[in-house]
Amino acid sequence: MIKKLFIGSTDIDFLKVGKLFYRIFIIEALIFIAVFIFSLTGILNVNLSVDFTGGTTYQFEANYDDTDIDEVMASSILDVSRYQTFENSNSLIFRATENTQDKETEFLFYLSNKFDIPDADIDFQRVGPTFGDEITTKGIQALIIFLSLVVLLISYRYEFKYSLIALIALTHDLLLVFSIYVLLGLEITPSTVIALLTILGYSLYDTVILFDKLNDSIKSSKYSYLTDGSLNKTFNEVLMRSLNTSITSAIPIASILFLGNYLGLSGTLSDFALPLFIGILSGTYSSIFVTVPFLAKIINK
Amino acid sequence: MKKLFKILFLPLISISLFALVYYQNLSPKLGLDLQGGISVILTADEGTDQELIEQAVEIMRTRIEAFGDVQEPEIAISGENSVLVQLPGVTDQERAIEALGTTGLLTFRPVLDSSMSTGYSPALELIVDPDDPENVSTAIKEGVTGVDEVIGISLEDNPEFESYILSVNSGYPVVYQLGPAELTGNDISDAIAVFPENEWIVSLEFKDESANLFTELTKKLANENGEKRKLAIVLDGEVVSAPGIAFDVDPTVGITGGTAAISMGNADGGESANNLAIILRYGALPVSFERSSIQKVSATLGENTLNLGLQAGLIGLIIVSLYLILYYRILGFVAILGLTSFGLLFYSVITLLGEYQGFTLTLSGIAGIIVSIGLAADSYIVTFEKFKDEIKIGRSFQFAADKAATDAWKTILTADFVSLSAATLLYVLAIGPIRGFALALGVATVFDLFFTRLYTRNTVPFVSNLTSSSRGFFPIKMKDLLND
Repeated sequence: MIKKLFIGSTDIDFLKVGKLFYRIFIIEALIFIAVFIFSLTGILNVNLSVDFTGGTTYQFEANYDDTDIDEVMASSILDVSRYQTFENSNSLIFRATENTQDKETEFLFYLSNKFDIPDADIDFQRVGPTFGDEITTKGIQALIIFLSLVVLLISYRYEFKYSLIALIALTHDLLLVFSIYVLLGLEITPSTVIALLTILGYSLYDTVILFDKLNDSIKSSKYSYLTDGSLNKTFNEVLMRSLNTSITSAIPIASILFLGNYLGLSGTLSDFALPLFIGILSGTYSSIFVTVPFLAKIINK
Repeated sequence: MKKLFKILFLPLISISLFALVYYQNLSPKLGLDLQGGISVILTADEGTDQELIEQAVEIMRTRIEAFGDVQEPEIAISGENSVLVQLPGVTDQERAIEALGTTGLLTFRPVLDSSMSTGYSPALELIVDPDDPENVSTAIKEGVTGVDEVIGISLEDNPEFESYILSVNSGYPVVYQLGPAELTGNDISDAIAVFPENEWIVSLEFKDESANLFTELTKKLANENGEKRKLAIVLDGEVVSAPGIAFDVDPTVGITGGTAAISMGNADGGESANNLAIILRYGALPVSFERSSIQKVSATLGENTLNLGLQAGLIGLIIVSLYLILYYRILGFVAILGLTSFGLLFYSVITLLGEYQGFTLTLSGIAGIIVSIGLAADSYIVTFEKFKDEIKIGRSFQFAADKAATDAWKTILTADFVSLSAATLLYVLAIGPIRGFALALGVATVFDLFFTRLYTRNTVPFVSNLTSSSRGFFPIKMKDLLND
């Protein structure tokens, strides 16, 4: 089997398999839509970072026990909404909702007193809600322009219908990452938004390479249009490349994730790595198993 | 020979560039998040005139220089109405904010009354109990709105209307009743602290077009006596100073010539005079900003993050290399030589950009680089897989390699075009951290195109001659490859 996979001579009937994956896709789509609607209506809580909600974070290293954390959480100076600890390090992060500059400074000194560390060693971040908003707005702008460009490019290079299929695969990846974040209650930071935009690039890159291969197969077949034969041939051949590419792309990102986790470092880099990692896996999956059922539909017509 | 040169062209360029950078002891200019410091994003109201923001940035620059002790501060306009201030190496937040100065508005407002005479805010009325003269209570005067009931100061200061402002600048609390602002910091062209004789003086110069306004204002004030003769200098809702108009000023003439002198006494050796002069000179920005983000990174966290990024990148590169060798054998080495040159070139270019263009490598830039390793590796995989497909249908190694290299170029061109437009779009639209990421990704994509066209395309056909066994290129026997 591995040998066949390697040679690209697996004889999976993608048209048949496509039907199964179409059902999976429908189920996924229903879940995504539900999650999306629930988070819009507030039934599901979307865990937005201080960049979006406005507020302050304090990060430092200190020796602490659970009662210390309870005390800080109950502090009357600021409304401390969350804290974060790490298994492999003494890092502590507190997040508080927006308040006056004075109160925020007071809290900084309070922490420095309580944990007996110089206040210069506390990493302090204050963010107004506008910053996150701006990133989101720009992100959505980028998304719209980018998607229109993609439709034009793919329609020009291949076929209009292909561009729609690429869009479906893209949306699938974005919503998958979003749903996982919402369902697991992971924190969405501006880095997450950036990572989502990068996933777009990845997913599309994968899909374009696939379409290119499909085009080649059609050219080398005796028909001038997409047939069952060339569809199956393409996908069987492309499996190995897709696997290899996602492995090589995922390895560096996985190493950020695992190394960051091991060293107990949380921060922008890990915030990037997690959604990227999920996104790459999802992109590989969608470029094959989401596109197949839709390509099959084109043939049927 | 010519072939070998073609193959080694890019690796040689990369290595010599790297050697140049290495021997000149250059290293990438690190962003604040990698070396520690404070970063503040200031945002003005939407639709603020771009020119005013540029002016504000200029003022902030001068101010930070005057403040001193900040290494390589960076103040840049980012986006339409934001200013990004980066103070690397600064860890004391209070000082950093001080360095930026109060971003509020500097105004000149006539004093209408003050608490000097009664000890109470002019907004309050004293009610003396007729039975007990000792028992004095206060109430807000009729017609006064928007002030605190107990101490009688304005809850919100709007320079366009009358307000009651507390000042502790003279060492004891004074509440001033101030009229609407008549002049602003914009009207000042220069201010300097001098010590002509016996006492310190802040010598003030107004812009030509504002000189008349000042004359008119002083004419009016010179008619008054006591508190009403004073002109308050207000910065960000605080009375910095409230000098009175000298008694020798003729009410029919006012202070003319667009200059004024504020007597500051001699008590503190000129410190207050200097401070006032600095505030007058740089104190007011033409626009008011909101601090939309303050980020402080300690030097240790920055270093940790940098190491994490470098280690992760290195480990990623090693694993990817091992994988490619196991899988593509000789071709794997081709990819590794290519990827290593790619890495060296990338490092050198980022360092040189930092040196000559001020480009700083940030965390998101590193993320972009790590992502681009995957991207570059994929280009090799695409080519190698095409090579395999050609051999599979019975083509000779030489022919298969030529065709694969040519075909792969077309595919990669399309795919990289998509990546490049994504990166460009991100760069153009993005603010702050996203830019570093987009730039790294964009540069990587362009390099990838160069490497595919100039390196891979020549090298794959070259190595395809080295052996006639499929074992040299793939972990599989020729027989199995062809038997399909």
